[in-house]
Amino acid sequence: MDEMKLIVQAPPHIRSPLTTKKIMFTVVLALIPAASAGVVFFGMRALLHMVLSIAAAVLTEFVLQRLLRKKVTIADGSAVLTGLLLGMNLPVAAPLWIGVVGSIFAISIVKQAFGGLGQNFMNPALAARAMLMAAWPNQMVQWVTPLDAIATATPLAIAKAGIPDTATLPLLWDMFIGFIGGSIGETSALALLVGGIYLIYKELIDYRIPLAYLGTVFILASIFGADGLNSGLFHLLAGGVMIGAIFMATDYVTSPSTATGRWIYGIGCGLITIMIRFWGSYPEGVSFSILLMNIVAPLIERFTIPRKFGEVKKK
Amino acid sequence: MQFVSILIAGILINNFIFVKFLGICPFLGVSQKVETAVGMGVAVTFVMTVASGVTWLVQHYILEQFGIPFMQTVAFILVVAALVQFVEMVIQKVSPTLYQALGVYLPLITTNCAVLGVTVLNIQAEYNFFYAMVNGFASALGFLLAITLMAGVREKLAFSSIPKALQGFPMAFITAGLMAMAFYGFQGLFKDFLIL
Amino acid sequence: MNNKYLKTLTNGLVTENPLFRLVLGTCPSLAVTSAVENGFWMGILVTFVLTCSNVLISMLRKVIPAKIRIPCFIVIIATFVTIVDLVMEAYLPAMHKTLGIFIPLIVVNCIILARAESFASKNNVVLSALDGVGMGLGFMGALMIVATFREILGNGTFFGFHVMGEGFPVAKIMVQAPGAFLTLGLVLGAINLVANHKKAA
Repeated sequence: MDEMKLIVQAPPHIRSPLTTKKIMFTVVLALIPAASAGVVFFGMRALLHMVLSIAAAVLTEFVLQRLLRKKVTIADGSAVLTGLLLGMNLPVAAPLWIGVVGSIFAISIVKQAFGGLGQNFMNPALAARAMLMAAWPNQMVQWVTPLDAIATATPLAIAKAGIPDTATLPLLWDMFIGFIGGSIGETSALALLVGGIYLIYKELIDYRIPLAYLGTVFILASIFGADGLNSGLFHLLAGGVMIGAIFMATDYVTSPSTATGRWIYGIGCGLITIMIRFWGSYPEGVSFSILLMNIVAPLIERFTIPRKFGEVKKK
Repeated sequence: MQFVSILIAGILINNFIFVKFLGICPFLGVSQKVETAVGMGVAVTFVMTVASGVTWLVQHYILEQFGIPFMQTVAFILVVAALVQFVEMVIQKVSPTLYQALGVYLPLITTNCAVLGVTVLNIQAEYNFFYAMVNGFASALGFLLAITLMAGVREKLAFSSIPKALQGFPMAFITAGLMAMAFYGFQGLFKDFLIL
Repeated sequence: MNNKYLKTLTNGLVTENPLFRLVLGTCPSLAVTSAVENGFWMGILVTFVLTCSNVLISMLRKVIPAKIRIPCFIVIIATFVTIVDLVMEAYLPAMHKTLGIFIPLIVVNCIILARAESFASKNNVVLSALDGVGMGLGFMGALMIVATFREILGNGTFFGFHVMGEGFPVAKIMVQAPGAFLTLGLVLGAINLVANHKKAA
């Protein structure tokens, strides 16, 4: 057992908490455009969902850290970010308690039970979303159209049901702006991209993962989709791929830290997303694919550790 | 086509650990290190595949011939026990380090519900000899996948400051639960193409 | 004298509860705890097999050669499992179907082999019987506790009876695979918490 302690993990070995606050709140800032779009399209209830999720996340972390007699770190913004991401992943018509329950689950089980910030192996917001979908499948798919709140199906659900007539699918331009049914924060590709580019510019996320993820999705959808390149674009703009690739898969805690690892990770996410979207039971595969890649990430990291200087390969 | 179907179903859709709850004891007991986990997974794969074949023969040429199908449990478990004895001897000869690493968990493959489980399931599914072995092999691969992934995660968790009450088995179960949730995504995969 | 017998009986219920403290018999614990009734019946079956095998093995403990004792134990256990399997199929076919493959799998339930090896082969018949009953009932209790959480939160029922109001949003995940793992993990954690407190006290 002792030899285990000598295993060298891939860097970073030192996770500095000093800049955590800055990182977290910058990401929150990058999400503001998409969050605002959500409120514009879906109304005040969307704002309420996000506020409740954030509040529940922060409160849960506070209570747990007090109980476990650990230092209270709610000011570092990680709980805020988790709450916001979860809130943005909810359909606006879902019951208001669902974000609260999800946040409690995300913070207590997926994050704190594993030791807190930096030690979880799964993205808390996404794991919570998957849990909510499994626990309350009906409440989690109550999609409505933006602005007039009529019950509708997401573009992916329509595509899954097999309606071949592209006239009934939303226009690609609508999907880009966000004028479609979906969860609060995932509909506006435009707003998400703005945030994403900002984060890449600030060097807070590695471009490799979103590029690999989105690239794989586009290529595979174009090959296997009914409409060639149009299918490719459709699948880029539909569902949670944008928010997933930019804001969730890039979580540096739950993704590999090696460059090669990140390419593999991104491609893997894209591959599984398309597999589920095209050939699985669920219309959307983003949550599952990222979670599955979260699980594989430690192994990917292990096998892509770069050779240390001077090290010679054993014959 | 059925060959591929059974393979995909066994590994992803009906994963023995995350869906069927078979093989949990070694899954939790031997998943702290990736190398050991893989070693156990491979050993179990061998046992499950061969056991599937042998028990099928026993079922169709002995139990049913003599009209004693109710002896299935006794007969099958004896086959498994003998097989594990054999594998133990082989591993001891071929890789003493693996033998040491697996320790008491090697003879415990006999009590691994996955092994006896798949042999019974094969008969229930009315597979022929070939597909029974394919199913044994595929299910074992699912086990191998699960235990390897778990080891990867647990190695990462080895440095975490998990709350005391949750250390050990509770955390292992919680982790497995989260993994099971992720595996849900594979439900219904390729269902239009699969022949089972 | 009385104390020893009582202690053996209660050992399996609390101190060395096979599921909660020894963490044995995990496979059925995940599978049959989606409903309290299932946990109840599995508990009954395991108690029966465990007690009978403990008794028989104890009676034969001086006779069974040490080198082949494990296969002998297995045959004895398998015989009793076959008996309960056939009896269930005849008298309670619905529950037999629900418990499915986990009935024959009782033969590889680590609890039974573990008790045979560590207790029945070394103690007299009466003590072995008490150990069997205690461990079996402890297992049954543990199963039912886990199942209570899962069934109430996941189905709104307890033993099939509706206990939560109509509007209760059941969390389906609880009666599915992930819920099984999570519930068992959290229950084990809670018990560890209590046990640690007692130790510190």
